Amino acid sequence: MTNLNIIYREKDIPDIREYNVYIANGGYDALKKAISMKPADVIDEVKKSNLRGRGGAGFPTGVKWSFIPQHEPRKYVVVNADESETGTFKDRQIIENNPHQLIEGAMIAAWAIQATAVYIYIRGEYWDMAHALERRIEEARKGGFVGENVGGSGWNCDMFVHLGAGAYICGEESALLESLEGKLGQPRVRPPFPAQKGGGLYGEPTVVNNVETLANVPWIILNGADEYKKIGTEQSSGTKVFCVSGHIVKPGNYELPFGVTMRELLYDHAGGIPGGKQIKAILPSGGSGPIIPATDEFLDTKLSYEDMAKIGTILGSASIIVMDETVDITWVASKITKFFKHESCGKCTPCREGTYWLDKVIDRIMAGEGKPSDVDLIANIAKNMQGVTLCALGDFAANPIIHTIKHFPDDFKQHVSGSNGNGAKAAAPARRAAPVLAGG
Amino acid sequence: MLAEKYAERIEKIFAKYPDKRSAVMPILYIAQEEYGWLPQDAINEVAAICNLDPTQVKSIAGFYTMYRERPKGKFWLHVCTDLACALRGADEFYHQLEEHLGVDHENDTTADGVFTLEHVMCLGACDRAPMMQCNFHFHENLDIDKAKALIAQWRAEVNAALNPPQPEFT
Amino acid sequence: MSKTVKVTIDDQVYEVPAGSNLVDVAKFHADNDIPVFCYHPKMKPVGMCRMCLVEMGSIERDRTTGEVLLDDAGNPKVRWMPKLQTACTQVVSDGMVIRTTTAQVQEARKNVVEFLLTSHPLDCPICDKGGECPLQNLTMAHGPGTSRMNFDDKMKLDKHVPLGDLIFLDEERCIQCARCVRFQSELVGDDVLAFHERGRSLQIITVSEPGFDTYFSGNTTDICPVGALTTADFRFGARPWELTNVPSICPHCPVGCNTSLSTRLDRDFGGRSMIKRVMPRQNEAVNEIWLCDKGRFGHHFTRSNARLMEPMLRRGDRALTRATWNEALNAAVTALQAAQGDIGALVGGSLSNEDLWMLRGLLKGFGSERLGVWMTFGGLDLLMQVGVGKGTNLGALGKDDAVLIIASDLEEEAPIWRLRLKQAHDRGAYIVVANARKTRMADFASKTITYAYGHAAHVMAGIRTQFPEAASRLADAANLIIVAGSEGLTYEGSAALMRAAANFLIETGHIGKPNNGLLATAPGANAVGAQALGFTAEGARDLMANPPKVLIVAGADVLGDDPNAAAWLSKVETIISLSLFPDALTLKHAQIALPIQSFAERDGTFTNGERRVQRFYTAQGPMGEALPTWQVAARIAERAGHGRAKLSAAAVMAEIAQSVPAFEGMRYTELAKVEKHFPDVGGADLYYGGTSYKNLGGLGVQMATTADRGETVETAEVTLPELVMAKDGALLVVPTTRLYNREWVFRASGDALMNARIGAPFVEINHADAARMQIADGDLVDVIVSGAALRVRAHVNGGAPEGSVVLPRHLADAAAPLTIAAGEVRKVE
Ligand SMILES: Cc1cc2nc3c(=O)[nH]c(=O)nc-3n(C[C@H](O)[C@H](O)[C@H](O)COP(=O)(O)O)c2cc1C
Ligand code: SF4
Ligand code: FES
Repeated sequence: MTNLNIIYREKDIPDIREYNVYIANGGYDALKKAISMKPADVIDEVKKSNLRGRGGAGFPTGVKWSFIPQHEPRKYVVVNADESETGTFKDRQIIENNPHQLIEGAMIAAWAIQATAVYIYIRGEYWDMAHALERRIEEARKGGFVGENVGGSGWNCDMFVHLGAGAYICGEESALLESLEGKLGQPRVRPPFPAQKGGGLYGEPTVVNNVETLANVPWIILNGADEYKKIGTEQSSGTKVFCVSGHIVKPGNYELPFGVTMRELLYDHAGGIPGGKQIKAILPSGGSGPIIPATDEFLDTKLSYEDMAKIGTILGSASIIVMDETVDITWVASKITKFFKHESCGKCTPCREGTYWLDKVIDRIMAGEGKPSDVDLIANIAKNMQGVTLCALGDFAANPIIHTIKHFPDDFKQHVSGSNGNGAKAAAPARRAAPVLAGG
Repeated sequence: MLAEKYAERIEKIFAKYPDKRSAVMPILYIAQEEYGWLPQDAINEVAAICNLDPTQVKSIAGFYTMYRERPKGKFWLHVCTDLACALRGADEFYHQLEEHLGVDHENDTTADGVFTLEHVMCLGACDRAPMMQCNFHFHENLDIDKAKALIAQWRAEVNAALNPPQPEFT
Repeated sequence: MSKTVKVTIDDQVYEVPAGSNLVDVAKFHADNDIPVFCYHPKMKPVGMCRMCLVEMGSIERDRTTGEVLLDDAGNPKVRWMPKLQTACTQVVSDGMVIRTTTAQVQEARKNVVEFLLTSHPLDCPICDKGGECPLQNLTMAHGPGTSRMNFDDKMKLDKHVPLGDLIFLDEERCIQCARCVRFQSELVGDDVLAFHERGRSLQIITVSEPGFDTYFSGNTTDICPVGALTTADFRFGARPWELTNVPSICPHCPVGCNTSLSTRLDRDFGGRSMIKRVMPRQNEAVNEIWLCDKGRFGHHFTRSNARLMEPMLRRGDRALTRATWNEALNAAVTALQAAQGDIGALVGGSLSNEDLWMLRGLLKGFGSERLGVWMTFGGLDLLMQVGVGKGTNLGALGKDDAVLIIASDLEEEAPIWRLRLKQAHDRGAYIVVANARKTRMADFASKTITYAYGHAAHVMAGIRTQFPEAASRLADAANLIIVAGSEGLTYEGSAALMRAAANFLIETGHIGKPNNGLLATAPGANAVGAQALGFTAEGARDLMANPPKVLIVAGADVLGDDPNAAAWLSKVETIISLSLFPDALTLKHAQIALPIQSFAERDGTFTNGERRVQRFYTAQGPMGEALPTWQVAARIAERAGHGRAKLSAAAVMAEIAQSVPAFEGMRYTELAKVEKHFPDVGGADLYYGGTSYKNLGGLGVQMATTADRGETVETAEVTLPELVMAKDGALLVVPTTRLYNREWVFRASGDALMNARIGAPFVEINHADAARMQIADGDLVDVIVSGAALRVRAHVNGGAPEGSVVLPRHLADAAAPLTIAAGEVRKVE
């Protein structure tokens, strides 16, 4: 069933973004069905489907919904459309090409927890998509699927788009909520968790879900959890969008059932490596997950939450960055480190200071001024950042260093071996310009 | 000034949230649209509208990269040189643009104040690299020639605005 | 009282109060100082710095039986969490287990310190905080031995950023703990500090107008865990280890904040002991660990060259000339004896109990009991009956409790009460602020009541009918405190307000127990002590109405407050002035001028607004020949043959304790007693509470009220005052209190920093009135009351209600009217 397009229905129906086309193809039937069900039954169905969060952590969606206390007067659904992980561009395609399915999924979630409003937090750089999405919501409002008396149920729930303004950390759910409240996008102390009173948006119980997660929900409600579970692997049901980028012939989004192998994805679907080169390494989860050398064993591993964990990496948001044999992995480490240094919110010490320090030392190494001990130093700094930060970004920032050094020690050695440790230059590639970053 | 001029939009924004503070980001965008960047006056106005201390608003403006705290060029060019784009030649593309515009890290704005060039982190267009955003609108699958053409077009727009066609005498 | 839970800390089990913070508990109950940087016991935890990581787990119980599961060795089984947890963000729960000494924890601490030091300069030798720096201490205890950070890689940032006039930021030293930011927004409620940028570029900024210039700004320098924030007053002034800390009490307002005077033998002060800075001293029931900036920076007056430094006599009609103490004391004895009992004493609100007692004794020796306190605040006697109950702690007020603040601008009159009552509001207390205009405290009120100036007593007496909902919430609160001021009130009005407030408290049963009763913002550090020792406002009115032959004026700037006083003062034959400064009364009317010592130069006690008698100790070398007031009185009495003078303030207090029931048991040894506070901010672990000092000088003892003693107190009829009316285009001129003003302690301080804080003289006029009088904002105007004109700038704003103008006292050198009066405002052409 390789061409099963649950999420990217535009592949089958090119104009599905249009309200009329969406409606003509069964659009909002799932929402109508949901509001004819008891909210608890909707949650049960999603629980049964084993739908897992597509934002990265893979947390079971139905279980998350069931944490919401029933009798609070104000509750929220927040859609995480902050999509900022290096190499991730899947939610954007949903918002651009199949927006009503997201709106419908979010409204079903809202019904399931009896939310009073839905906020879609969309990264500021998706300026045009956000404004288009607002118009799509307006269509749904006119159609009676958003706002007052949704689908004639007597239940009111409005939906709003909130634009971010350039901060990766706002993808982290508690930072996202802070940002939505008009504060700095810095993560909160947990507990209380968003689902709990005191932990969510404006202190009210809140479900935060990724765009892709919610776009799955209408299909599940219409076709039933059992049908959904037939797709994918045992612990990873359904399809997944894989964002493939880097050294690949046909970069792009591929919606495939969980369980497809990396080799199938890269070679059968994405056209293989340009120039017939060898793959050197793959980042299966953008900048934040551990890098993996492209061994046969890895290429033949199934893409699912459970299988990726077995080989020491994560599926995360499935942003697959492919690097061919020409790539210097030290340079990769430095690129990713610059990303996290730029995106660290600065709230907690190990991440704020660690990313800054790592970047300094890697710059030195890249400039050929590093000593062999500098490689140990960054490995140690990264290790000291792990597991002690307030949010996962600190761990994300440690990953690229730890795993690049672990798997590609020679790439580092080549930069520092010529150094006598007295500041003399090693024979290494010229220093790359330090980027000038936007903002400020 | 903002409060009166954009009263209707501000009203709509407030209607979205139970708390005025949530409106600070959208209203900062309005201020930036009006002033081109966020001078202290703009910060003070936004603070007054949202019933916040100006320091809090300044703090928000400083945290998020899409707010400009310094005046920039009329066209704000953001080129993603993050890993996925860099693997597809974004760094080179960026340097070519620098050369074409005659800017560098220290002086990121063209002498005529029309263009500002900056690196940005991943913008979610990795499959269409090299790419850039101009005033937050995407331009993808670029090469330096395509980019030059866009730049020429934008420069022409500015020139047209500066030198409107004179009425012809008969 | 509250529930307890069992927690295990490093294999020891402790039974601790449920709901408390783990770090606080470990420190207080287990003497285990978990290192922290961002956590502060007075603020909500934020878990930012990651210094407090510990191993954490919980004791496993059988799902069905609830029995504790045991391991093979018979110890409770613990389910450990996979990662270290921040202790600061944990509320203790039953069965919680932590370990703080394991290798893993040590390693984590070392790493966090190392991370902090990556950008921190190693400039301890020139840092103000060096010697009392949490980061320095924790680096010694937990940090790495050497730096792995390349020195060239360190951040190079601005080291002298003024956040306001008072506080400077060293950006390099800041470790982004946000304590200052959180203090300002959580505790003060002024969001003037925030972070700018993000990641390693995060910096504290202010772009507010004015910047960081609140009444509480100095506290941030105490709680800053590094030397990033320093006060303009103390910066580079001394090294902490050179300082001797002397316990003291702030002399400026009725709160009675406990302070530590950090002193040093100083070249600039003739090699004598000199105050270099004023720091808070923990007293949870009084000021917790806070101080307002007036208390912190307002110590320069004690060393002012403008002080009266030697005794002086007026010989004939000439000006005062220098005399020896011998001559001056003899002159005083002669005058007093000649008066044949027709004598009186008028004192200010900030003389110590010892001073007052000896003055009273002096008069008694000459057969007089005419004692007055120079203020227009009425009804202070009610504080002795229904004042807040013994054991009151504003920090304990919260949900279900209520406070009514009426006719007071609390932030200006008693800043730390305002700070603490804001916290009460945040904890859920029902706070009602009633006044004729909006005051700062109204920002932290659950309800505001607005009335016309002069009507405070009317509102209090009629609150049940006029504001039934508020009245019933106040009446039904678990605990109720009423704070009364005297803004807009005559003496009679103030007395009536106090009476009406007392009645309400009595009728609703809110008396005689902790956290219930009456408070007054009567000016001065010892107005309540004066009342308890027989110096009353009524007495003062009597002295004014029937001036005695000889009047002793001690610590009261009578003419500075009221130029009209010259009329009755000139009827006095001999005025003996005991004063810190050569004020107008001394210079123009006194025959005998005797220099007295400030609180810093001597021992003594003040009774604060909550009737807590608190000791202060000698800290600074005396100025000139000044003596403590009590000694001056005692020496005159001795010379007159009325018995030997006491040798020490302690001996005077012992006598007071024996003679005055209110002071029963209040010997100095009792007043010096301390007990461990929760949270316990003292000790070597400065990083926990900051540099606020451990209390070694005593917590003081609260006087019992009539109600506390269980005796019945009766309500009494409120005699509503006659209202001051403004007729025919006249306006009501309402004098108000400003914390920073041109009273002697400020004006003569010689301290540019504090003087710059005093606003230019102004009057607030309502838009409507201003329009009618064609006065524009910023115009120069004369405010004329009973013929006397005060020239000030007009502030045309919503500050004053229509028909009234608000005229802050002591901003101009000339005096504003003493109490509300009818007057005119005229534009100066
Ligand atoms: C640093 C960081 C960045 C994140 N960015 C995103 C993001 O851009 N989009 C997203 O959906 N989730 C992101 N997440 C995950 C969210 O915190 C959250 O788990 C997710 O939105 C939950 O939705 P789901 O259960 O549907 O996956 C991020 C997490 C971290 C720690
Ligand atoms: S780990 Fe980084 S991003 Fe997350 S809270 Fe800490 S500083 Fe902020
Ligand atoms: S994180 Fe606990 S003290 Fe800072």
